[in-house]
Amino acid sequence: MTALDRCLNVYDLRAAAKRRLPKGVFEFVDRGSEDGIAVANNRNAFERIKLRHRALVDVSGRSMATTLFGKPVSMPMAIAPTGAAGLCWHEGELELAKAAAKAKIPFTLATGAMTSMEKIAQEAGPGVGGRLWFQLYVWNRREFSYQLIERANRAGFEALIVTVDTIVPPNREYNTHNGFLLPFTPNMRFTLDIMRHPVWFTNVLMKYFTTIGMPRNENYPDEYRRMSRNDPTTAEMTRQDSLSWEDIRIFRDKWPGILMIKGINRPDDAVKAMEYGVDGIVVSNHGGRNMDSVVASIDVLPDIAEAVGDRGTVILDSGVRRGSDIAKALALGAKAVLTGRATLYGTAVGGEAGAFKAISLIRNELDKTMAYTGCRSVDEVTADIFFGGRQGNRLRDMVMDTV
Amino acid sequence: MARLDRCLNIYDLRAAARRRLPKGVFEFVDRATEDHLAVSNNRAAFERIKLRHRALVDVSKRSVATTLFGKPASLPMAIAPTGAAGLCWHEGELELAKAAAKAKIPLTLSTASMTSMEKIAKAAGPGVGGRLWFQLYVWKQRELSHQLIERANRNGFEALIVTVDSPVSPNREYNTHNGFGLPFNPTVRFTFDMMRHPAWVTGVLMKYFTSIGFPRHENYPEEYRKSVLSGVGARDAMRADSLAWDDIAKFRDIWPGILMLKGVNRPDDAVKALGYGVDGIVVSNHGGRNMDSAAASLDVLPEIAEAVGDRATVILDSGVRRGSDIVKALALGAKAVLTGRSTLYGTAVGGEAGALKAINILKNEADKTMAYTGCRSVDEITTDIFFGARDGNRLRDRVMDSV
Repeated sequence: MTALDRCLNVYDLRAAAKRRLPKGVFEFVDRGSEDGIAVANNRNAFERIKLRHRALVDVSGRSMATTLFGKPVSMPMAIAPTGAAGLCWHEGELELAKAAAKAKIPFTLATGAMTSMEKIAQEAGPGVGGRLWFQLYVWNRREFSYQLIERANRAGFEALIVTVDTIVPPNREYNTHNGFLLPFTPNMRFTLDIMRHPVWFTNVLMKYFTTIGMPRNENYPDEYRRMSRNDPTTAEMTRQDSLSWEDIRIFRDKWPGILMIKGINRPDDAVKAMEYGVDGIVVSNHGGRNMDSVVASIDVLPDIAEAVGDRGTVILDSGVRRGSDIAKALALGAKAVLTGRATLYGTAVGGEAGAFKAISLIRNELDKTMAYTGCRSVDEVTADIFFGGRQGNRLRDMVMDTV
Repeated sequence: MARLDRCLNIYDLRAAARRRLPKGVFEFVDRATEDHLAVSNNRAAFERIKLRHRALVDVSKRSVATTLFGKPASLPMAIAPTGAAGLCWHEGELELAKAAAKAKIPLTLSTASMTSMEKIAKAAGPGVGGRLWFQLYVWKQRELSHQLIERANRNGFEALIVTVDSPVSPNREYNTHNGFGLPFNPTVRFTFDMMRHPAWVTGVLMKYFTSIGFPRHENYPEEYRKSVLSGVGARDAMRADSLAWDDIAKFRDIWPGILMLKGVNRPDDAVKALGYGVDGIVVSNHGGRNMDSAAASLDVLPEIAEAVGDRATVILDSGVRRGSDIVKALALGAKAVLTGRSTLYGTAVGGEAGALKAINILKNEADKTMAYTGCRSVDEITTDIFFGARDGNRLRDRVMDSV
């Protein structure tokens, strides 16, 4: 029985990933920012929502399949962009992308990925049945970003996701404490951390060293990669705090495919996005990794979904660890969810097989939740499955308010 | 002082059961599913409800007795169906049934029990003053289920309880981690577990080995009884996800006695059940063992009880550990409760005597709660005993909102 076989849920995968990865890498994936309030609240918000069993519906023919932007997916889920898959496993993005293609769900490649988009497209793109989305951090030097999306278009990426919730770098204090800095900066603390994880050092880092050298952000423009990290203009160039709606207009002009904005937290922003011709919005607080006081994504979802209606596709991101979370998001108006950490843990434990396992676990849990709530298709997953304390029953109100 | 004498409440029995049983068996009984949100929420829902002392009512002649389906019960309680009593004690179902008969409350035998219904009927049936109910999991091959209930009818079972909250098997990950499964599947891990509990091996397992061999699901049809050890062949036959209202119509046709549905969580389902001629509804989330997002049974009870009115008997199941819980359930519209784990813990500690002890503990606690709240009979238990924050007092609102 392998380590992977013993993992029966995403938390088991997380525990196995924790053992396997250097602390610096694990915490970069696992933690949030500042006091960890947002990341915990994302979970609480899901766990607070209670459902009801539905009796005696024949659910033997049930299906989780749906469509996203008019094309079929095996379940209402896609892989979120994450920057550290390549540190969880050698060429982790590629492993994760292959798992997504096999599971018939879209994969999003991050700007900060360590595998080039061409390689991803070749091995896990439309040629082998994969659906690829590209996530963009917009830099001060806009022409770099334009080059990047043109490259993504050429490589066959069907969608562009512009991240709008990261205008300043967050205070992820643990990274500094751990001596873990991206891009890599040699320091004693992280070196000792690596030395305590020889399997990771051998199977991940050494494999890079013996092939391409130090893992790099393979999708950054050549010009940027040639620049010295210590050059102050480098930091200036990657600043994102001038990003505005005008940029979205330009991206809409330049990008022929599906355009999404990731990091929407307000109905008015969502409505405005529709006016700019955006096809989809991702309701996200960046997995609680940016603003620690942020409200849970699932809590802001219903307002946004109602404001958007059927004018755009609303996707939920942040906090999904169980299949039941997907059912809850769908019932609150999302068309699908993204998973970041959940599938990264799997990647860290078993590469493609581990990522596929994570997807399968969540899939199985969603299937059971649908069966228990009497939903035969994702269209039947509505607010009807909820138990709401506010639905108004005289007796219940009496006792539920005595807390 | 016997071990049983030192147990003064259900939690003491639980602790004693935990010491006595192999971890695999104990956790099968004690734990629930996935992240254990539902099982802890069931308890939280009871504990949140606050009562008020009623002053100066002469309660010296109070009684906890009631009637269930027109026949007397010494306490508004019955034993819930559970599959593992036979692993808590040698022929544990029989011990539990005898205790129920002695306490004058009904016992429900589970489809999955390890003692045959014939044996239960003979030793704890109407002949010795016992009331027997039979719980049914409906199999894909319906004729097998139909045969089973015919057998139950021949054996003098007065009621049939069809479980409707288990269309798919839940994710009870701890069973896999413990190497414990029902049907039994020998694993090294569980073998070591048993070796740490020689008293259990001697007092339970060896007694089976020296009489009938490996414990079997004695109420399964002959062809599946043989395959209990592996269970592989039975898996598909036992699929329950096609169970629907038509089946209830059929059961109502062929079952002459009392018919109940167990696992109803919605008022609309409850009302629908009435249309099918059902006599009783068990509001249950399966002890939190199936859907981890399920609302607390107690929370969904009041609106179901109101929807049903006096057209059928409403019984609450899931989370009862104290006699005060019974009183709260009655005040919210239940006619009685079922206990699963509470009485199993007792069975695990002392067979019939332990089960009877558990029943008496709950009875004593219910009696005292009635005395404190000024209730002389179960009919006097109404919402009048509650303290509700919404009752509206200006001063109180000021302090309760500051929590």
